[in-house]
Amino acid sequence: MSEIKPNDKGSSEESAEEQDWAAAKAAFDNLKSNKPRPPKPKNAVTIAVSSRTLFNMKAERKIFEEEGLEKYVAFQQEHENEPLKPGPAFPFVKALMNVNTQLRELYPDNEELFDIVLMTNNHAQVGVRLINSINHYDLTIERFCMTGGKSPIGYLKAYLTNLYLSKSADKVIQAIDEGIAAATMFTPDTEQELSNTQLRVAFDGDAVLFSDESEIIVKQHGLDSFFEHEKHFENKPLAQGPLKCFLEALGKLQRKFYAKNERLNCPIRTFLVTARSAASSGARVLKTLRSWGLEIDEALFLAGAPKGPLLQKIRPHIFFDDQMFHIEGATELGTISAHVPYGIGQKYHKGKLIEQPKKKE
Amino acid sequence: MVKMSLEPVQVMSGQVAELKVAPSSNGDSAGSWEGKREFDKDHLGLTAKPKPVTGRRARKVEGGVFFPKPENAVTVAVSSRVLFRTEREQRVFEQQGVEEYLRYQIEHENEPFAPGPAFPFVKALEAVNARLRELYPQSEELFDIVLVTYNHAHVGIRLINTINHHNLFIERFCMTGGSSPIGYLKAWQTNLYLSADANKVREALTEGIAAATMFMPEKMTEVSESQLRVAFDGDAVLFSDESERIFKAHGLDKFFEHEKENEDRLLDHGPLKGFLEALGKLQKKFYAKGQRLDCPIRTYLVTARSAASSGIRALKTLRAWGLEIDEALFLAGAPKGPMLEKIRPHIYFDDQMFHIEGAAEMGTIAAHVPYGIAQKHNSKHNTSAGK
Repeated sequence: MSEIKPNDKGSSEESAEEQDWAAAKAAFDNLKSNKPRPPKPKNAVTIAVSSRTLFNMKAERKIFEEEGLEKYVAFQQEHENEPLKPGPAFPFVKALMNVNTQLRELYPDNEELFDIVLMTNNHAQVGVRLINSINHYDLTIERFCMTGGKSPIGYLKAYLTNLYLSKSADKVIQAIDEGIAAATMFTPDTEQELSNTQLRVAFDGDAVLFSDESEIIVKQHGLDSFFEHEKHFENKPLAQGPLKCFLEALGKLQRKFYAKNERLNCPIRTFLVTARSAASSGARVLKTLRSWGLEIDEALFLAGAPKGPLLQKIRPHIFFDDQMFHIEGATELGTISAHVPYGIGQKYHKGKLIEQPKKKE
Repeated sequence: MVKMSLEPVQVMSGQVAELKVAPSSNGDSAGSWEGKREFDKDHLGLTAKPKPVTGRRARKVEGGVFFPKPENAVTVAVSSRVLFRTEREQRVFEQQGVEEYLRYQIEHENEPFAPGPAFPFVKALEAVNARLRELYPQSEELFDIVLVTYNHAHVGIRLINTINHHNLFIERFCMTGGSSPIGYLKAWQTNLYLSADANKVREALTEGIAAATMFMPEKMTEVSESQLRVAFDGDAVLFSDESERIFKAHGLDKFFEHEKENEDRLLDHGPLKGFLEALGKLQKKFYAKGQRLDCPIRTYLVTARSAASSGIRALKTLRAWGLEIDEALFLAGAPKGPMLEKIRPHIYFDDQMFHIEGAAEMGTIAAHVPYGIAQKHNSKHNTSAGK
């Protein structure tokens, strides 16, 4: 933007030029306020979602699996102008946008916001339908990666992704191996009404926020040894798990609200829903969180009680757990759940070791 | 083929080093938790510094049911203020605000709280559980105690330390950090909710959960450690307040007439009937094993009703519900305090503050059930007195 030199032209021309300038500036300012620009990845909390988690593409997926790629792409093109139905990650994304709006009100020029990237294996031709659907719901998703079959992991890293949600367990496992917080999403059986003013995220403890070291002891040596161990090492923080950094990112944004005295109305609320027993093994968890400088708003120690009913009361936009048993219990009662395929919990189902059939490599 | 390593994966290991503890609510820098700075991934042995965990032994939970499913157990939810005495902390909260309160709690983390009004009750529940486990080792029909508190997770450590200090078995927690815990009560299938806050109790009652507000008596009389004793008022606690209404509106004579006429018509049930039912279910398990005389649960009805003139309806109603009550005291208006002092219940439920105060004066642990017409009558009485 070059400066306007104080010119020595005639006053009428000057005012005309200034008017032009003023008009151009006004147009540009309008441009800026209507569609806020997405933040730079290194400042933002980047959430990558796949198209199947954002939208419900069951029917289309069926066509792809049964009739092949060509038919699938043709189908999508035909139905380009029909917006897709919302998928499991949709309420979560809507809630994120909501938080962004509130953050922009409090900190107008700040780039510490949520940024949502669509990371999909889909073919570029399908992009039109996705864009139409996104605009239909008035979502602000400006960044796309349509990898046309290639692995998205490289792109996830380039975007400094803080969380990756997908329906494909393979991609999620790959992402976790690369050090990116990731989870496989599941659609609940029934739909629940969720808050549209407050983002609510629920986490399991072991093997999600923390490493699975304690889980290993329970599975291999039983509860009594576990309690003994936890008491012994009460003051030693647990190692971190795959989703710890996402909780950290949420905490960073929460503090921005606290700084503006909005603690009671904070539009982000975090929950710890763990099967641990409070008096026997809870102290280590709380002390670990404290040593990391992380706060969690509500802590529920279930000591083995089923998580489903409590999650139903919490109504989170997303619930992360490492054991399919809990995911199943949660989805049965209408909670949107995401499986974190990490740690020893993957080898067990309902406490029993899963028999792995001998696989040929 | 998925390659799953068994070592705790150091995810995002590159980013872990610098964690600035923001000047946030807990205000805790190095304060109360020694040894925090020393953690070293490879050093698996005991570091010398960390404070030794109190001399208790870790719990043994194998070889018995210790974590019953909520639907099978009799779930009692208590708040932190009734389980322990937290008056000082409460004052800090009210006078200096939440940040100072959290800081205070964290500073005093290793000081256990003193027992509160619900403490003997909870201890007695555990004694009953021990007996039940002896007789029925595989059964999940036990008492289950859940701590449901408004408190923030930072206070959790002090609560955990206190629970371990007093050797209680409370493993289920709901720390709601300020939002209402009532929703969680239903998810826990709570049979009884005890709190110090009358508003929460009223909310729970409207949701159909048996609840009562507990008060700290000036002195606590000694109660049995081997037998759980629960005393109930009749009207507006076990039964509905229909009779109370007639009495308050039309007087004693009309009340007697009405009761006589309706002797065979059952009274409607009151907020604590479900809890008495749950107690009865557990009592029957002892009777089945021939332990009627030795039963570690004993229930009392302590009512201001007059036996001959209005007692039959109460007893017939209980019979029709299939509920037994071990001892029934009809006082016909005599003060309840001295009777309760002899009974020494772990908890006494009544709907009228007048009786609660009388009981507390004599050292009985009383809990107020804010239900029914007596509440309106009291407030009317108070406002007119105040004018």
